[in-house]
This record gives sequence, structure tokens and C-alpha cells, in this order.
Amino acid sequence: MRQGVGRALLLLALAWSGLAVAQEDANLALIPPDSQSPPKLRGSRSGQNIYLENALTAASLRDDLPVPAQPSYDWQERLLLDVRDAWEVGRTTRLVLSDRLNLRAESDLSFPGHENVVNDLREAYAEWRLAEQTYLALGRINLKSGSALGYNPTDYFKARTVSEPLSADPSVLREDRLGTVMLRLQHIWRGGSLTLAFAPRLRRQSPIYSNTELPSFDPALGRTNSDDRFLLRSTIDLSRDLSPEVLVYHDSHGTRVGANLSLTLGQSVVAYVEESVARRRDLIGEALDFGRATGALPAGAPDEPPAAPGKSLENELAVGASYTTASRITWNLEYHLNQAGFTSQDWNRWFATGTDPGTPPALANELWYTRAYAVDQQEQSTEQAAFVRADWTDAFGLNLELSGFVNVDLRDGSGQAQAEADYYLSNAWTLGLLAAGDFGSPRSDFGSLPTSYSVLVSVRRYF
Amino acid sequence: MTITFRDWLLWAALGGVLLACAQARAATAPEIIARTDQVRNPQQPFHSTVTLVEYVSGRERDQDTLTVFAKMDPGTHQFRNLVQYAAPRRDAGKRVLLGGGALWFYDPASKASVRISPAQQLVGQAAIGDVLTVNLAADYSAILLGTQAIEDATRTQRKCWHLQLKAADDLATYSRVEYWVEQGTYLPIKGEFYSDSGRLLKVAYYRNFSDVLGSTRPTQTVIIDAVDKSLATVATSTDYGYQDIPDTWFQRDYLPHLETR
Repeated sequence: MRQGVGRALLLLALAWSGLAVAQEDANLALIPPDSQSPPKLRGSRSGQNIYLENALTAASLRDDLPVPAQPSYDWQERLLLDVRDAWEVGRTTRLVLSDRLNLRAESDLSFPGHENVVNDLREAYAEWRLAEQTYLALGRINLKSGSALGYNPTDYFKARTVSEPLSADPSVLREDRLGTVMLRLQHIWRGGSLTLAFAPRLRRQSPIYSNTELPSFDPALGRTNSDDRFLLRSTIDLSRDLSPEVLVYHDSHGTRVGANLSLTLGQSVVAYVEESVARRRDLIGEALDFGRATGALPAGAPDEPPAAPGKSLENELAVGASYTTASRITWNLEYHLNQAGFTSQDWNRWFATGTDPGTPPALANELWYTRAYAVDQQEQSTEQAAFVRADWTDAFGLNLELSGFVNVDLRDGSGQAQAEADYYLSNAWTLGLLAAGDFGSPRSDFGSLPTSYSVLVSVRRYF
Repeated sequence: MTITFRDWLLWAALGGVLLACAQARAATAPEIIARTDQVRNPQQPFHSTVTLVEYVSGRERDQDTLTVFAKMDPGTHQFRNLVQYAAPRRDAGKRVLLGGGALWFYDPASKASVRISPAQQLVGQAAIGDVLTVNLAADYSAILLGTQAIEDATRTQRKCWHLQLKAADDLATYSRVEYWVEQGTYLPIKGEFYSDSGRLLKVAYYRNFSDVLGSTRPTQTVIIDAVDKSLATVATSTDYGYQDIPDTWFQRDYLPHLETR
């Protein structure tokens, strides 16, 4: 009897404790058998990044352009050495270098010639730690701002900096760009930061370079330092997850005020908004002014398309969100507004003038010049656009990264699309395949561009 | 009345179970999570090197090395983290910051710091939240489901508390976590990680318990992909060291200045 009570108590205690008999855990069999020993470590903390890349591009050109344009290349071969490194000198000084040497040949370039060699000195500066978390930097610096992915209205030093990109992906355009010679003072404290930058005028502004007239070993200061420019930027932590960035920028055209704000919503979503406001001329007016000032357009050239008179308050906006799926694809969806961009009336006039048989070639060139100016300034040419981008690392469980984007002009539904695949053969070797195309009717923003589609094949070796 | 040896054994076993149960019941879920946080994470600012090795069907596919700097925020009791990619070369210099309530990703190529979500993938099966040093007690609310004997990664039986964790804020990487902590040692043994929709995403096993910075801690985590079970990632932490880390390191504008010596 006593034994029976004891056993009952024991069973009761076991049940009460919830101490279940261990069950077979099928997932244990999935642990890689040879993964016990800590792996051999590689790499360093320096952040050095050096690679050699060969890229071959083939392009299909439209032969039915409504407005005739300068012919572009239909093939291009590039070999480029890309170097990015930093060195600590003493306890308070750091030297930073970012450079890319391009050897190129393409269908619209004679070979050999100096145009076959182009060096892009992206960054070269020294930085000193003046005090605890106070930094002074001098040299060519890539100062970037903006919370959006497809369009950055507050990225005030982006104008005229992109040099011969291999991809139209905005995230790549930010990498392949020249810095600006400046003096930058930055102080960081526990609740925020303050940055002051002054970029002096060092050279006369240079004209917009075409693909066939890029200087070889010129630092291109006429693009990045043709005006005295000032920037004040501050981030302030208002709460645990709310830290807006406010910017005030000034150059000879006037003052711009901008702000960036982003928020995490749940485990998978980040929402962001970026805005810049300025009293300025519209894009066409600025393009024509610039063309005349640099001699690209005759001083007496007519306003075509007609620019809005004088300056007005213009707003630039990028608002969007990113979402990461359970299968680890990150999507970005954005709306872009550039009030200074081409209106419907501007586009209609652009096509009407361009397709008029009586339009002289010089006027057709002027029409294209306004659009080339927008590209050179990294400014959205049209008023409203939508942008979608997807990125899938380790796609299909392979060492494969797939990414792509579509940028659509909301006025006419035309757009630009690009898909890219990078396969990591090893930690040193990467193979790349990129396909890009513009779609839309011939009398649309993207459908009127000279290149219909292009395909790029690349191989990259990291050192 | 005579008491046989068999009776002694029975009562001794009963006493042992009751004692174990009493110990188990004495600890509340928040206490268990707080203690296991202390076991996993040194309480003083520190750095470590984390090597992530990806496996496909048991074969090594890729390897990444990260340097992690971590410091607890005395206000929130949550860790702030600064992570730098060291390898492979194509990713060298990229940085991730968990400071305050936000995650930021910095790419030295673009000089851009962009805000990212906790679910965004870092490498292999490891989300950013898997690699960062986090106090679970700060991001999740926990309840104790009971006790359970389970096999650890080496198939050794461990008596564990079985806890359920639910995300208490947006910085939690997962919506829900089932977590097993060994009784007495507070060593984490196993975790199951679920999405918002209740889908099992990953199963993690903690192993290689070693003396690190004064305590016995797990130095290796095996992460099994529950969706595609051919995929696994092993995260190994080495080269621990205490380091004085200023609070300003966890501002996003500090990311470009991280000292790389």
C-alpha cells in the first residue's frame, strides 16, 4: 500500500513538475557534422577594399527616336582597378583614399587615345580627431545625405559627381561618384551630431562632359568645386527610435532646407521620408542658365522648352518604406516628387518642338541639353515618379545576390528597369550579369531615350 | 514498520524531484531570462570576433567574419552594438549599428547610413538580430511554460526551463521565441524563432560552453533554417576582450569614424 502511495506521489510530482521525458529532436540531425571546431579566421578590421573588374556591355540603340539625339555606343569594354583604404597615422590622424582607374574601349571612341584612360579620384582626405568625438577633415570628401534609396533630395553634394557608372541602380550611383574638396568639422555627442562643411570654389565650372570627352587624369574640380558651398547638418535624438536629420545648404543659387526622418515599424518594415525646399528656378531654367554660362548653348539661344519666369518655392520629396519578407527579400517602394522638374506642359512642348520638321538641329540639341543637365545634376527630370527595388541575398540558397529596380514616370507610365545577378564564386571572385532597359511609347520620358536596352557581363577579383 | 531499501530509494527520488521542482518553481520567467542574459553576455563593455560559416546540406559554402563592439545602456538595460565586417573582402568595412532604438547600416563605398529592420538578413541564416549582443529581457516579455529535459547540440540530456518569449518592442528580431534554459546553470540550450504569422523560421542550438571573461558562456550557436532544412549557419565567437567604449560610438554619424586599429 505504502509502495503504491509512494509511486503515485512520485508520478504526481513528475507530472506537476512538467518534467517530460526527453523526446527525439529531429533538428539535431541537421547540425553540420564538421562544424564543431572554430573556423580559421580571415580578414582584417581595416576595411580595405581593392578589386579588379572587367565589364563588357552591349547596347541596343533605338533608330526611330522622335527627337534626334547624339549617337551613343553600342558596345563598351572596361577594365577597372578600384581601391578603397584608410590608414591610421599616430593616435589622432586618419588618411582616406578612394580611387578608380578605368581602361576603356567603346564603339564611339578611337583607339588608342587618351580617352581610353580615365582616373576617378573619388576621395583623398586627412581627418584629425581634435578632441573626444570632434573631427576635422580636409580634402576631397564624399559627403552623403538622405534616407531614401531611389532619389535623395537632401544629398546636396551629389550634383555633377557621377562618373561613368556601370549600373543605373541608385545605390551603385552613390558608390561611383566623386567627392568634393571641402573642410568638414563634425562633433558627435551622445544625443546627436553636428556637421559643418565648407567647399570652396577652386575652378570655373566645366561644361557637361559627354562620354567621349572625359579628361584622363583631371580631378574634375570644375564639376565638384565651381562654387562656394556651405552645409550645416544636425541629427538629434528626440526619443529612443526617433532621430531626425536637419540640413541647411547654401550656394550662389540660394539656400535649401532639408530633413530626413525614418522609423522602424515592427520587425520587417522601415518607413522613411526625405524632403528639401528651396526658392529656385525650375529645372529647365537652371539648365538653360548653365548651358549659356558654360558656353554649351549660345548666349542668345531661345528658352526651349520655355522655363518658368523667375524663382519660386520648389519642393523635392522622397517618401517610402522597405519590407523584408520571411524569405529574406527586401523590397523598397518609394514615391518621388520634384516640383522643379518637367511638367506635362513642358513634356508636351519638348516633344512638339523636337518632332517639328522645321526645328533646326541646334534647337534639338538644346532640348536634349535640358535632359542631360538633369542627369548631370542627379536630379529627377520629371515631376512625379514611383520607384520599386528588390534585393535578395543568398537567392535560392546559393551564393547569389539578385537585385532589380523599376523607376516609373507617373505622368506617362514610361520607365527604366534593371535586373542584376551577382554570383560569388568564392570570397575573391564574383561573376555579374546585368540587364537594363527603358520602356514606354516613343513620345514618353524613358521611351524617347537613345538606348533601348543593354546587357553587361562582368568578372571581379578582390584582393 | 520496517522501511526497505527500495522504499528509501523511492522516497529519496521523490524528495529529489520535489526539490528540483521547488527550485524550478522558485525562479520566475523574467528572472530566468535575466540570468541567462548575464550568462550569454559580459556585463561590461566588450568586443569579440564572430565568424559565421554557412552550410548547405552539411557542406561549407561561405564564411564571414565580423568584429562586434557591445555596451549596455544603463537606461534601458539593452546592449548597443557596433558591428564591422572584416571578411570576405567584398564586404570589408561595412558596418551595422544598433544604437538606441534603431538599426543602421553603413556602406563605406557609398558613404551612406541607411536605417534597416531587424529582419533584414546579415549573412546566411543569421539575421542581424542573431549576431548582435542583446538582452532578451529588454526586448521580450517571457512566461514559463514548464520544465523539460531536452538534448543539447551534443545530444546530452539537460534539464531545462521551457519559456515562451513574445516581442515587447519593434527591435525584437522575432515575434515569438520558444527558449530552453538549463536549470541551475542558466545556460541557453535551444531556441525556436517564429515570424509574425507564427511560422517557425529558425532553430538555434547553443554549444561550446567555455570560460569567457570570467563566466561559462556559450561560444557557438548553430542556426538551422526551419524553412529550408538543408541550410545552417554556425556562429562562433572568439577573441573576447573588455574595452572602454564611449557612448558616442553608438551615434550613426560615428560609423565612418570607427577606429580600425
